[in-house]
Amino acid sequence: MSHNLKNWPIVVGLILATIPIMLMYLYLFVDTFTDTLPGEMIPNRFTLVHWRFLWENIEGKASVWLAMLNTLIFAGSVTLIVLSVSSTSSYALSRLNLPFRRQFLVGVLLLHAFPSITLIIAIFLILQMVGLYNTLIGVILVKASLQLPLGIWIMKGFYDSVPWEIEMAGIQDGASRFTVWYRLVLPQVRPGFFALGLFSFLEGWSEYILPTVLAPANDVQVLSVFLAQLIQDDQHFDFNLFKSVGLFYATPVIIFYLFFQDKLMNIYGGGTKG
Amino acid sequence: MSTSTGITGGSYQTTPSILRSLADQGFDRSTLKHIGTESYLVSERGLQAAAKAGTKTELVEELRERYLGETFASRRLFERFLKTLDNRPRSTRALKTTSPYFRKSLINERFNGEDEFRRALKELGLDLSREQTDQLVRASYTGWIWTLENFRKMFLLPETRQILLNTGFYVASTLLLFNVGFALVLAITTFYLPKGQAAIFRALWFLPRITPSVLYVLLWKWLTWDTGFINAVVANFGVTPRNWMLDTAANAWVTVILINGFIGASMGMIIFSSAMTAIPKQMLYASEVDGANRWQQIRHIILPQIKWPILFVTVYQTLSLLTSFEQIFLSTDGGPGSSTEVWALSAYHNALDNYWGNLQYGYGASLALVLVVVGVIMSLLYLRLFRFKELVKLPRIEQ
Repeated sequence: MSHNLKNWPIVVGLILATIPIMLMYLYLFVDTFTDTLPGEMIPNRFTLVHWRFLWENIEGKASVWLAMLNTLIFAGSVTLIVLSVSSTSSYALSRLNLPFRRQFLVGVLLLHAFPSITLIIAIFLILQMVGLYNTLIGVILVKASLQLPLGIWIMKGFYDSVPWEIEMAGIQDGASRFTVWYRLVLPQVRPGFFALGLFSFLEGWSEYILPTVLAPANDVQVLSVFLAQLIQDDQHFDFNLFKSVGLFYATPVIIFYLFFQDKLMNIYGGGTKG
Repeated sequence: MSTSTGITGGSYQTTPSILRSLADQGFDRSTLKHIGTESYLVSERGLQAAAKAGTKTELVEELRERYLGETFASRRLFERFLKTLDNRPRSTRALKTTSPYFRKSLINERFNGEDEFRRALKELGLDLSREQTDQLVRASYTGWIWTLENFRKMFLLPETRQILLNTGFYVASTLLLFNVGFALVLAITTFYLPKGQAAIFRALWFLPRITPSVLYVLLWKWLTWDTGFINAVVANFGVTPRNWMLDTAANAWVTVILINGFIGASMGMIIFSSAMTAIPKQMLYASEVDGANRWQQIRHIILPQIKWPILFVTVYQTLSLLTSFEQIFLSTDGGPGSSTEVWALSAYHNALDNYWGNLQYGYGASLALVLVVVGVIMSLLYLRLFRFKELVKLPRIEQ
């Protein structure tokens, strides 16, 4: 771009506006390894005491590793369901002349646009009725199905951009529709497939409202609920402990973000849920 | 969290909150007070009923001779007392079948059928009129009924107006200041920066969106609470520590808008940025040759070129902000008082997380239904606006 004016006023302005973010994330790292006297800004000593929750249970709480395991199961299953269902169903919606195809698409689009969190009360009542309240399976099914419209929408976008000629050629050569999909089309949409998997995993990992409403019990608790309850129940606010648990919780997110920043920005910016 | 949703079939249960609402409707207060205070009384009437139902005569006689007229504050106390008697019931079951005859109230007691409930009401010996009995039965039913009562309540409650105003204020200010306003600032400023610097700022502003909400709100609490960072800074200038998140309604609003705005800005930023890379460079070079300054460039070239993305972000984020309550729930939880209570949060509070423990699934669900209707209308609107036809066009392979 042109440089007919100096850049530094812009940079200074942006830095000023970004100060809260920089402070919050800088101190997120610093505070977990240090102690600070009350009312001071600069830490005065290095310590690992805030990470003790890794080898001993926090008073009145289940093990953090159990919560970690639950979170892994939760986010992993959601990803698996979203990937398998949306990679197949959106191929069908993109390429097959299904009966009611238009109605399906309208439904998916509407559900995609519609903020499904408003359905939480109804979902809560339904899970109570079918007996899946306070189970991981229940909350996995709910999260996956709320995530599916977005997954189908994104995968359909990717399938739509695959040239028809590839499939035409495959069919000319006598391959079945399934073989065409599996051997020819799926490799073409691999970037979308991975991006969606990554996105679903992170969405599952970060989800808070659904698990806290649908599965709050100690033995099925995921890390977000674990951390939120820790903050709520605590009488004396130990921010350093909270931050350590929080950093432990957010580590996979941060790592994925560092490696796949561009992919993630694309998928968040692609008219997806805000 | 209570689990009595009434979905699996209704039962009958009179609770203190039902009695309160009956009192508001003009039900006779002394009767309600009688129903509402749980107590057990060794009375002649109860003794006769118990004897008739087959309670051991020795026990009935012992009660009549020594304890006639004694009252007990709860079922537990009464049953514990029964266990100390010489002729105490031998089994727990006998104990449980004996005690109800001496009940003076049926507060918090659960009955499975309407007949059972009516019989228990009659046994209280209150001389209720037919209408009064019917009213109590109706109010105590916990199962499904068809009713518009919830919506009537929504229109009549003064809180609804307050919540509506809160929601409007929250959506409008977050949207204008951050989700569109500051997103535009970020997109345009980073557009003029060299690639490397622009990427750093975009990555930083993307952090709030990618961070799990519980941790993100925790960081804001650390910034704003009494023992937090802001207080540590301003203490140097002699300001007394306070909770910047919750001390006044104005401060609570500022924090709520900042918390949500910092997340919201990144989506607009990305969409506007990618729309701006599609603007032909020649237009910008030409304008510079003609002597346009940056402001004129932004005003007359960039903004007109990204007006559709701006409209898209506006509509989309309006809907998101209307229905999201996660960050507010985690930060101020609608407080102080209910000054930052928005519509979606109020639905959640009423149905699933009531401070008084009296969960109103029906009322919460009807509040949510309003959002659902608004949501469906708005999503239809924005699907009409943005490339709906092209998205549902027919596939070609089998034509």
